[in-house]
Order: sequence, then C-alpha cells, then structure tokens
Amino acid sequence: MQSILYPGGIPLWRNVVFIQWAAQIVSAIFVITIVSSFLFNVAYEIQDREIPFGFSFLDDAAQIPIGESLIHYDPSQSYLYGFGVAALNTIKASILGVILATLLGIIIGVSRLSSNWLLSKLALTYIETIRNIPLLIQLLFWFLIVLELPNVREGYIFFDTFYLNNSGFYLPWPTPLGGFWMWAIVSALGLVAGITAYKFLQRREVETGKPSYPIVASTVIFLAFVLIGLAVFTPLDLVVPEPQGRFGRFQGGARLTGSFFALLIGLVVYTSSFIAEIVRAGIQAVQRGQTEAARSLGLNTNASLRHVVFPQAMRVIIPPMISQYLNLTKNSSLAAAIGYPDLVSVATTMTQIAPAITLIGMVMATYLAMSLTYSVIGNVYNRMTRYAGVG
Amino acid sequence: MTVGVPGWIRANLFSSPIDGVITIVLGAILALAAVQAVNWVFITADWTVITSRLPLYVIGRYPQELYWRPLTALLLISVLIGMTWRMWGGIARNFAIILIAITMLAAILPYSPIELSQIGPDESPSDPKTVVSILFALNAVAIAIGYWLATLPSIARPRNFIIAAIAFFIISALLVIGSSYVPGLEPVPTQDLGGLTLNLLLAAVGIVCSIPIGILLALGRRSQLPVLKVACVGFIEIVRGVPLITLLFMSRHILPLTFPESISIDELYLAMITITLFSSAYMAENVRGGMAAVATGQTEAANALGLRAWQTTTLITLPQGLRNIIPAIVGQAIGLFKDTSLVFIIGMLDLVEMGRVTIQGNLEFVDDGHEVYIFIAAVFWVFTFSMSYVSRKIETALGVGRR
Repeated sequence: MQSILYPGGIPLWRNVVFIQWAAQIVSAIFVITIVSSFLFNVAYEIQDREIPFGFSFLDDAAQIPIGESLIHYDPSQSYLYGFGVAALNTIKASILGVILATLLGIIIGVSRLSSNWLLSKLALTYIETIRNIPLLIQLLFWFLIVLELPNVREGYIFFDTFYLNNSGFYLPWPTPLGGFWMWAIVSALGLVAGITAYKFLQRREVETGKPSYPIVASTVIFLAFVLIGLAVFTPLDLVVPEPQGRFGRFQGGARLTGSFFALLIGLVVYTSSFIAEIVRAGIQAVQRGQTEAARSLGLNTNASLRHVVFPQAMRVIIPPMISQYLNLTKNSSLAAAIGYPDLVSVATTMTQIAPAITLIGMVMATYLAMSLTYSVIGNVYNRMTRYAGVG
Repeated sequence: MTVGVPGWIRANLFSSPIDGVITIVLGAILALAAVQAVNWVFITADWTVITSRLPLYVIGRYPQELYWRPLTALLLISVLIGMTWRMWGGIARNFAIILIAITMLAAILPYSPIELSQIGPDESPSDPKTVVSILFALNAVAIAIGYWLATLPSIARPRNFIIAAIAFFIISALLVIGSSYVPGLEPVPTQDLGGLTLNLLLAAVGIVCSIPIGILLALGRRSQLPVLKVACVGFIEIVRGVPLITLLFMSRHILPLTFPESISIDELYLAMITITLFSSAYMAENVRGGMAAVATGQTEAANALGLRAWQTTTLITLPQGLRNIIPAIVGQAIGLFKDTSLVFIIGMLDLVEMGRVTIQGNLEFVDDGHEVYIFIAAVFWVFTFSMSYVSRKIETALGVGRR
C-alpha cells in the first residue's frame, strides 16, 4: 500500500501490525520476568533458609484433635484426612448459613418494603446496624453469649427433646434404617413428578388463563410421595438426645457445639442484612408499569406477582445474592477466632508442625474451588435468564 | 382520613387488622427492649473497663510523650475538613461542627474527674495532659485556618485540594508511624501502635494506595495484550476468591522471603502491603465496572476527534469511569475499615483485639465482655455509618444514575 505521507512505504515504527506485535512481546516479557523472578526468588529462599515445604507430610498422622467433625476423625489419621474433615466443617457452616441467611434476609427485605411504618423502620435499623459492625465483633459477642449460657445441669430444656446449655445445642436427629434407600428413591421420584406437574400446570395457566394452582399441586404431589414412602418403608428413626448421668453427656441426637452455634448465628445475622438490601432493591427495580400492565391484562395480584414481578426481580436479585453467598463462605474463616475447627483454624494448628506455605496454599486453593463453584452457578443462572435478543 | 397525626397513624400503622396486630406486638417488644437497654446502659453496665483505659482503645500502647504526633496529624485533617467546608459546604460543615464538639470534649476529658490515664507502669515523667488538651483544642483553629485558606482564590482549586490531601495524608502517616530517615520523628515500635488509630491507618493506607494499583490492574484487564491480561485477571480473581485472613497468613510466610534475610519485615508493613493488595483487586473490579459504564459514544467521539488509544483512555474513559465509582470507593472503604479487624491473626492489637485482650487478660474485667464489645461495635458503627451517609450525599451530588 502506497502512502502519500510516506512515499517509500510505511516505516516500521508507524506500522500498526509491527507496533502491536512489539507491544505483545514486550508486555509478555515484562509480565513473565516479574512473575518468574518472584517465584524463583521465593523458591530459592525456601531452599536457602531451609523452610519446610512440599507435600510429603500429608500421609503422616496429623496428631491434632479436631473438636467436631461430620465424619469420624481421630488424631492418628493423616493430615490430608484431617484437612478434608476441616473442609467439610467449613462447607457445613456455609451451606447451613446460606440457607438460613437467605430466609432471614428475605423476611427482613420484605419487611423493609412493608406499608407498616414501624415494621419498615425496624427492618431499616436492623440493616443499618448489623452491616456497619465488623463480623468479628459480632462473632465474639455471640460466642460470649453462648458461653454465658447455664452449664449442662442447669441448661434450658424444651419439651424434653431440645437441650440448650454452654456445651451446645442438642436436638433430635434421624438415623437411617434399612428402608432408607428405597425411601430416598421414592422421594426422588416424587420430586420429578412434582416438577413435571408444576411445569404442566404453569403452562396450562399461562396458555388458557384458567387458575391451575401449580405451586400447591406440585407441593402436594411431592409431599404425598415422601409421606407414603415414610409410612411404607419406615426408613428413619428419630433419635431424641437423652442426658446420661450427672456429668451432662448426651446419648443420641445431634449436637451443635457452642462455637458452631455462635458462628452460625453471626454469619446468618450479618449476611442477612446484606441480602435484605438486595431483596429490597430487586423488588423495587421492577418498574411499577409492569405490575400495572399485568393488572390491566386481567391478572390478579397473586398471578401478576408470580408471573411478572417475581421473575424480573429474581433476575436482579440472584447475581448479587450469589456473591453474598461467596462472602459468607469466605467469612466463615473467622471461625478461627472463636474456636470452630474450620479450614483456616485447623490448617493454622497444623502449621505448628507441618510446612505452613503448603498448607495455606491448600487452604487458598480450596476457597478458590468453592468460589469457582459459586461463579459457575451464577453464570449458568445468568445464561438461563438472559433476555431473548439481548447480549 | 389521611390528614394530620391521627390520619398518618391510621395510614401507616393501622391500615388493616393484621397491620394493627403487627404494630401493637412490635411496639410492645420495642418498648420492653428499650427499657431493658436503657436500664443496662445506665445502671447495670460497668463502664470502667472502657474509661479506665481509653487511650489503649484509641491508640494502643503508643508512647505518651509522643501523643503530640498523632494529634498533629489530626490537626492536618482538620485543616482539610475546613477547606472542604468552604469549598463544598453541606455535609462537610456538619462534620466540621461535630469534629469541633468531639475535640473540645476530648480537650476537657483529661481534667475531668474520670481517671483516664491508667495505662501501665511506664508512666512518663512529663505529664502529657496539657499537651493533649491544647492540641485537641487547636482543632477548632485548624478548621478555621482551612476555611480561611480556601477563601483565597489562588488556593481554592480542586487540584490544589487533592495535592494538599495527598501531602497531608503522607505527612500524617509519617507522624503517626515515624521514620528513621526523618530527624525528630523516631519510629514508634509498631507493636505499640494499636487501637482505633491502627484500624483507621490501615484502612486509609489500603484504600488510598489501592486506587492507583487498582486502576493499573483494571487497565491491564481491559488491554488486548494477552499475557498482561491473563496476569491481571489471575491476580484479581485469586485475591477475590480467598478470605483476607488466608492472605494475611500467607504473606506472613511469603513476604519476608522476597526481602533480604537481614531485613525483618515488620507486622505493620506486612499488614499494609497485604491489605493494599487485597483492596486493589476489588478496586480493579470497581474501576472496570465504572469504565464499562461510560457510554460508547464517548469513545467513538474521541476516535472521531483523532485521539489515540492511550489518550482516549486517560482523557475520556478513565476520568468519567472514576467519577462513576466514587460511591463504590466509599463503599469499599467501609468494607476495608471493617476488615482491618482481621489483623489480629498476625498478632496486631487493633481495636477489637485490644478489647478481647482486655477481657481475657485482666481478672477484674473478665465479666465485662458485653460492655467492651458493645462499645467497640458502637465506635465502628459511628465511623462506617457516617461514611455511608457521606457516600449517599456524594451520590446525589454527582447525579450518578441521573446523568
């Protein structure tokens, strides 16, 4: 290509292709130099200062106690197993926390929009108080409250089945019997039947305009399967905790330890204040005209909420909600401050003997895997609910 | 029906039978709770755990004879607030008035009957009371000076204000921490720096230093150079995917390795570096969002005017993007301020940890946990809530979402 400005052809330093290639190469060399010199430096210093490193310790006996675990653990088991136990503890706190925080957050977010002035202002006070105080103080505070509960012999007893005292909260818990798997299969079938019924009735309602009650009908179908399965196979035995002797040991049932209880309350209360704001913003984001249009099309309040407002609000609510779930999971690492054996707290204890850099690297990798899981869920949701024709 | 106080009550509290039940039940619970709370705060609670060691919560074990240094830093901040008052008015005025009230109170406090200076056996020979009082009282003067400076047309320009803010910020940090390179400002042992001052210092350093790094990371993420882009995305996503507590832990083990073995890196700088890097990743995402929100017409107009890519970015996209994210930056500052309480994990005595140590380390205070935690929570709340108030005002002033 001949240019008027450059009769001898475009010189190299004005050539777009050359400039781009040069920039790519220079930037690549720059980045690779920085990253690799950092890594080499650290690796060299690790060898030079004889800092323990590597993964060979993972099969050794961990020899540290872990206060509570979902699966059986004793200190003679390996580091890797102990790490897994701790990861399960983190996951347990996260999942329970996410469920409860969502419920509480929705209740408070809806209260915030209530026409009742007192309720709305109370919700506002809750939100503005809770989310402006560091989670760490809240956890320490709840832990203090739990520790101040009466001791085992003088603890609170509800209906002779629930026991609350400073060693934890004891509640009945089902143990699976022989028919458990049959019951599980029947329940799964019930779930499929319920979802099918919901889709069918929802479509019928949208297409014909006849009220078909999809939510009620599908719930009834699902519950019918579960309850009939329960009656036929007797899959579960509900074990009620029983105090043993005078020293406050309990036989049977489930126990939420004091630190887990405090962690759960703290995480749920803290996160719910953020979720409440998300729910409020999501509902308010649906324009008034949408409801009015739905009403003028002849949908009743219930139907316009369900078919028009709710789906649009969900599209606004879900992405920030997922990032709150991720925050809750990451915040569960503060358990280290109140002695709940989560990933960070167990790994910290392990570093007293085992190589710290490896262990913390493993902890970070585990959290990254969890956050990746959340973002995959978020992306799938976004793809499912994208407006047709946009993006 | 909806006129006057009875009308308002009927419309907002008793619009339906269910509404009325909710109001009555909530009102009863609220009244009971209020009585209990007032009773606890003024009668049951024993606040000596706070009042007898107030300096510890405010600034940790900072040497008493050096109290003039953080107080001078506060004076500089007062000058800035005075300038803001004159230049933008509004909330800055309210803040200035509140600050004057608080500092005047603090100036009288050392002479009040409440015993405040039981810090420990290392009572300094020179009594710091007078110096502390005078320096606190001078804040009103400092605000006046700032206000007067901003009346001079040669000074009252936004650019000068930003330069002054950055300069004062660096001088304040220097005054508080000290440096062996500046004569007269011998470094304070950083384990003696604690309490609320530590939280504020870490949050301020973290948020200010993370803005330039965040901008660079965001530009890197937007760039078309694949290696640079991958590096920036990797850094941002890794930091955002893990809890701050693990980053603090990791940097305690890794950061010393990047320095020569003879230099032992101090916990304070460790915390500052880690918190800055942590904040940069979030800042980068804010900047990216702000830049993405700039209308494409702006870029197209810049291209049409013949601006080059780097000119378009630095003159058009970046400034408008940054204006978009001022509320987000304040929001991040709030989050970071709360997150500074995590430095307990590397053994620093911030406000929260100071409270915990006080309860667990002193037999006479072992039952005062409620008082300590509620006091600390209230302190944090005052700061974070006023920051979010400022953020809302700025949002309205900038017309974010309306322009």
